[in-house]
Amino acid sequence: MRVTVCFYSYFKDLAGCAQAAETLPDGSTLDALLHKLMLRFPKLAGMRNSTLMAVGVDYQKPTCVLKEGDEVSLFPPVQGG
Amino acid sequence: MKRQLTLTTELINEPALLAQRSLSNEMGAVVCFLGVVRGTQGNANIRALEYEVFQRMAEHQINLLFDEIAKRWPIESVRLVHRVGLVSINEPSLWVEVVAPHRGEAFAACQWLIDELKRVVPIWKKSVKSEQ
Repeated sequence: MRVTVCFYSYFKDLAGCAQAAETLPDGSTLDALLHKLMLRFPKLAGMRNSTLMAVGVDYQKPTCVLKEGDEVSLFPPVQGG
Repeated sequence: MKRQLTLTTELINEPALLAQRSLSNEMGAVVCFLGVVRGTQGNANIRALEYEVFQRMAEHQINLLFDEIAKRWPIESVRLVHRVGLVSINEPSLWVEVVAPHRGEAFAACQWLIDELKRVVPIWKKSVKSEQ
């Protein structure tokens, strides 16, 4: 299956892009995607413990099972206000 | 509970927001909060903050916060305006208004909303340094 990954804030700079596509086996979890992304974008690996993850517009845990066409967003802690 | 959310690149127009205020006869408290961009960050002078937003998710998350407020307190209305893009120092970046029957719930809901906004709403800022 194919998913789209969006990066926000300084994660864009660390990844070198705002968006990327990834192909994963069906039934893969968010954690599996993250593992793959850390290999592809090594500068993001150091941020793993502070990475927030969303699928669509909702926060999700690493155990979340992804599906074809999901839009996954990765970003650092938020700072509104 | 009435709710209004605006994410905007425009200046926050306080007089216009105040003119649009509506409250029923049972309401006895209006709490307004204005967050303003400071001219310093740590020891450095800055001239602005650049706000970035993941718009769809920010709107969704703020609406979830509004839902939670409606469950927790007897609030009549909540309005929230957040600037995005470049916001100069001394300009407001956030405006929140909570209307309730009494001050206790109005203050509590306003404080909670801002705390949660800073925790879960996907908005980020980076400082724009002063040129010296």
